[in-house]
Amino acid sequence: MKSSRTLGLVMIAPAAIMIVLFFLMPVVLTAVFSMTNMTTATGISGGVYQIAPNSLIALKSAMPDIAAEMAEPRYTIDDAGLKAVEGLGLAPGIAAELRAKHTGEVFPTRRDVERMIKDLAERPSTREVKQISEQFNRSVLNTRFDSKEQLFSALDSLGFKLTPEQKETVARVTYTGWTWTTDNFSRMATSPDMARVLFNTVLYVALVLMLFNVGYALLLAILTHYMPPTPASIFRGIWLLPRITPVVIYVMLWKWLAWDSGFISILMGKFGYPPKNYLLDNAYNAWLFVVLINGFIGASMGMLVFSSAMKAIPKSQFYASEVDGASRWQQIRYIILPQMRWPILFVTCYQTLSLLASFNEILLATNGGPGNATEVWALSAYHTALRNYAGNLEYGLGAAMALVLVVIGVMLSLLYLRVFSYGTLVAKPLIED
Amino acid sequence: MAERSQPSANYRNWPVITALTIVSLPLLLMYLYLFLDTVTVKQADALLPSGLTINHWRFLWQTTEGKANIWQVTVNTLLFAACTTSLVLIVSSMAGYVLSRLNVPARGFFLAGVMVLHAFPSVTLIIAIFIVLQMIGLYNSLLGVILVKAAIDLPLGIWLMKGFYDTVPWEIEMAGVVDGASRFRVWRSLVLPQVKPGIMALGLFSFLSGWGEFILPQVLAPGNQVQVLSVYLAGFLADDNNYDFNMFKAVGVFYLVPVLIAYALFNKYLMNIYGGGSKG
Repeated sequence: MKSSRTLGLVMIAPAAIMIVLFFLMPVVLTAVFSMTNMTTATGISGGVYQIAPNSLIALKSAMPDIAAEMAEPRYTIDDAGLKAVEGLGLAPGIAAELRAKHTGEVFPTRRDVERMIKDLAERPSTREVKQISEQFNRSVLNTRFDSKEQLFSALDSLGFKLTPEQKETVARVTYTGWTWTTDNFSRMATSPDMARVLFNTVLYVALVLMLFNVGYALLLAILTHYMPPTPASIFRGIWLLPRITPVVIYVMLWKWLAWDSGFISILMGKFGYPPKNYLLDNAYNAWLFVVLINGFIGASMGMLVFSSAMKAIPKSQFYASEVDGASRWQQIRYIILPQMRWPILFVTCYQTLSLLASFNEILLATNGGPGNATEVWALSAYHTALRNYAGNLEYGLGAAMALVLVVIGVMLSLLYLRVFSYGTLVAKPLIED
Repeated sequence: MAERSQPSANYRNWPVITALTIVSLPLLLMYLYLFLDTVTVKQADALLPSGLTINHWRFLWQTTEGKANIWQVTVNTLLFAACTTSLVLIVSSMAGYVLSRLNVPARGFFLAGVMVLHAFPSVTLIIAIFIVLQMIGLYNSLLGVILVKAAIDLPLGIWLMKGFYDTVPWEIEMAGVVDGASRFRVWRSLVLPQVKPGIMALGLFSFLSGWGEFILPQVLAPGNQVQVLSVYLAGFLADDNNYDFNMFKAVGVFYLVPVLIAYALFNKYLMNIYGGGSKG
């Protein structure tokens, strides 16, 4: 029936709209921004053309002569200058003669223009020559032009004879807004800092995943499995606390434990050790805490998944094995672990993605420090684009870094969809009248 | 919680319990001292408190210079978490039903897409949304953060609701349709009550996740007027000049207690999500 389909479309529309607007569109925009050199300096809307000292430096390598000329002021006999000369209250003949004979002329240096002024019929004094020449001083330096055309016409009127290619070069180096570029990606590929961050990320994901999200979670699940119900639920409750606690409080608790006025310092002080910041005093400690902080959160999800999977193992298998005299270790080895293969795979896949993208805890705990020791990829993207010490936020580079995460995430999840036989998940609906 | 799966006596429980207690000690200590430190006085180098005080809770009745008012911040947080939750619940309970029961074009694609979206790192969304909000000048508003947060939680919500709808026997709907009700009415009055545990689970999950959310409000709405508790607390943490760890902890307890209460009341629903419900 047609109505079911219409109803379906209507009911799914809000989800589709929200996901497209606030999920897909930002991802697409990230891809777009990653192809630009957008920073705080270039702004995020369009820019202007400005021949600033630093753009002249950039120009020097391509066109040294023109760059040198642009750095110097030029003298143009134009209307504005003539009006100003008339307003100086000098002999009226000076302005009239300049207007009649010299309008439109351009002099490359002050000496040239002053020689011309001295040769005028009225013969102005040296002081007057200086005054007059100053009215025609036209520099392109530090003037803003809203468009290319304005820039070019200004250059033309100042007598710069440039070929179209040279003009384009000038426009390119003097543009203050952002431009399209693929530099972000080559920078990522070649920078040693990025290699370090990549190494950190792999280390972080591997350590937390193996030690806690899978290893410790499995241990916890097995231990509580064999425990009487009350202590089992108490321990599960304790290990769920980190997950339900807001991240800011949770990290604050660790800081209280590790800071120089914190618990460990006070405790060690009783044994005569001077207080220090155990969290940030060296890279190894910082790593230890980063792994612990994230691991304690990660352990809970694995624990729950594994516990519920273990509950699903038929009890008869345990009884039968005991009749045969199996020890507890043998039960774990031959009954529990083989049946944990799918849950372990699921948790590994799921948590790899979560860990790759997570940076809240590291941001709050060490902020990537000490030095760059605990800076991981997601945190580095955040720092680059939204919060860095230099103050110049590199949106383009940050977006490119984020895009790398997106690509890895999509590839991994497509792989997982295959592994977990996606087909069974999207079987046809029950009723489709 | 399992009943003891083996009655054999060749092992004792207490060594295991002791070992686990030692491993859990950091967590126990942290949470114990969190509550203890907010109501007691302690010498700088002492491990045990020396007296009781309510001074650390003074943030409740006086506002620190340059900081937002705690009640305003709490209202913002509540508003943020509640709006996000309702949005996620309404939108995903509709979309989940469609994906579970109705035949819409590109259904499989949508499902796979939702699964893949779930894997997207939120840092991507933050950077792009930050730039867009700056461009159109809508930076620093609570509504923007609510929409973004809800969108991020949606993929999980939709998958979860689909999973719950899949378990509802379809005879219920058949009966409704045969009696002449529209499909919408069948969903509204027959199917929706059947997935109440799922709605509770998802609702609690998104409330907790909204209540604790830090990075989105921090980047997209850091202003005093729209600040939420996590940003407020992080501001304390960054302020090295006059930090008062005990007051900071008191704010932390103030922030944490609603979470613990909600969790204690509804944890059996939440387990549906954490223990396998999210497998879809």
